[in-house]
Amino acid sequence: MTTSVVNNAPNRIHVHDRRFGWLLTMPGLALLLLVIAFPVLWALFTSLFEYTLINPGFHTYVGAGNYAKALGDPEFLHSIRVTAMFVVAVVVLEFALGFLIALMLNDTERGKDLYYAILLCPLLMNPVVVGLIWRMFLHPSLGIVNYLLGRIGIPPVNWLGDVDVAFWTIVMVDIWHQVSFMIVLLLAGLAALPREPYEAARVDGASSLQCFWHITLPLMRPVIVVTLLIRMIFAVKTYDLVYIMTRGGPGVATDFISYFIYRSAFVGLDLGEASAMSGILLVIVLAMTAYLHRSMRAIS
Amino acid sequence: MPHTLRTFVRHAILIAFSAMIVLPLVWVLRVSLTDKLTAYKIPPEIGHLSLDNYIEVFRSFPFALWFGNSVLIAVLATLISLPFATMMAYAAARFRTGGSPLWIAVLASQMLPPIILVLPLFMVFLSVLPVDSRIAIVIAHVAINLPFMAWMMVSFFEGDSRSLEEAARMDGATRWQAFIRIAVPVAGPGILAAGLLGFILSWNEFLYALILSDSSSQTLPVGLAGLETHAGVDIAPLAAATLLALAPVLILLPFLRKYLIKGLSLGALK
Repeated sequence: MTTSVVNNAPNRIHVHDRRFGWLLTMPGLALLLLVIAFPVLWALFTSLFEYTLINPGFHTYVGAGNYAKALGDPEFLHSIRVTAMFVVAVVVLEFALGFLIALMLNDTERGKDLYYAILLCPLLMNPVVVGLIWRMFLHPSLGIVNYLLGRIGIPPVNWLGDVDVAFWTIVMVDIWHQVSFMIVLLLAGLAALPREPYEAARVDGASSLQCFWHITLPLMRPVIVVTLLIRMIFAVKTYDLVYIMTRGGPGVATDFISYFIYRSAFVGLDLGEASAMSGILLVIVLAMTAYLHRSMRAIS
Repeated sequence: MPHTLRTFVRHAILIAFSAMIVLPLVWVLRVSLTDKLTAYKIPPEIGHLSLDNYIEVFRSFPFALWFGNSVLIAVLATLISLPFATMMAYAAARFRTGGSPLWIAVLASQMLPPIILVLPLFMVFLSVLPVDSRIAIVIAHVAINLPFMAWMMVSFFEGDSRSLEEAARMDGATRWQAFIRIAVPVAGPGILAAGLLGFILSWNEFLYALILSDSSSQTLPVGLAGLETHAGVDIAPLAAATLLALAPVLILLPFLRKYLIKGLSLGALK
């Protein structure tokens, strides 16, 4: 396991081995510093200055000014709220559906390979393509979805143009795209569970529901935590779907944080404030990652 | 519930779920094969099927350029990242080089929202280091690929080849030879899988490519995203274009199946 290697208390490692290890690590580490650490520091540096695309340059130092401006901006706070709602909605719904399907697949022999092959399809699909396909299906007058709903007597829905609907449309498309992620990981966890506790429980006359509640859930806990956390962090980053399907709209109904920062930088042209927002987002994601790292350690 | 009824319900749900995934894709395929007018017909008809839209995609849009850019950028980003990531992963697996702090940083690197990195990269490539925008995108994609691959590959170097390497060292091989001649070939399939997944990450990436590209360096996702504004709702060629963009991933998927869980769970699950 990745994490166990890294975290165990170090045994004695020969000094030449240690040197060789660093020799192998240095080039990659240097590249990481160049393409990740340097830009992050650049962004944090920029966030301390008044820096706009109209008047670029590090001339006016404003300290925490950009952070104060960002945190006082109701649209930014709104984008955090919408993103948080989105993360909770997709993670809860994808987990519920994903766990159900994973449990069923785990009990299935016949056709399992075919079901599995099908559910893998959306997994690595380009989010831009997913957005374009569903945009096409959900077109209010020409889309197949409204046509099919019409056949069973449901009036057409303005999936992407209605303030009350658009958010949930994005949630649904995300579920279509990402629920397989949950299924694949949860199924891997289920397949690795020991058989003995179930046999013992069956001898004692436990029902399937009791088995699920008292054996499956507790044993699956670490896998569930890691799966949920990874999915949450990726959901926080959601950008492509809203760019393609709604451009943050209608109004600001789907103005997720990544899209809002993009707008502040390239429409609002205020790179200083956008960088401050990036800094705030960075703190949120790093906190989630720290928790993820701890949970991964618990698995191994 | 009796056993047979339960099995029946289970399969009914699994079939319904599978249909929800497959039918949209089949429908896109159908749209891509119809002529433009039939594609809009409500109620839908199948009509006459042809490959015209696939030809149209290459004629009406710079599709070949986008496709070529995507291939070039993804291949370069993968080939640059892979050796660095392999060395880092091996050092972590054998010698615990860098320890916890380095690997928490690597994990955090792959979790970073791209919007955080793209603003500074945009500023740097605009003013300080004006390079060809294709190179700029390759550099940005290395920032995604390198930490992902390194993190994924650590576990590939555990176990299997350790004793072989020790035997080779006894016979006088250097550490470098033990790494290149033994550890890398033994972990070969895993390294290949990490490379292919990295290729797909880069192939699918949108935000960096959107902001760092110009008209000559647009990748497939950026080009496709622009289509809907150019061509309005000309869905027949759009459907063909989206399927062409999906093709490489759907072709690679079966080869990756074995490594998918490891890649998706960031190495946490086998």
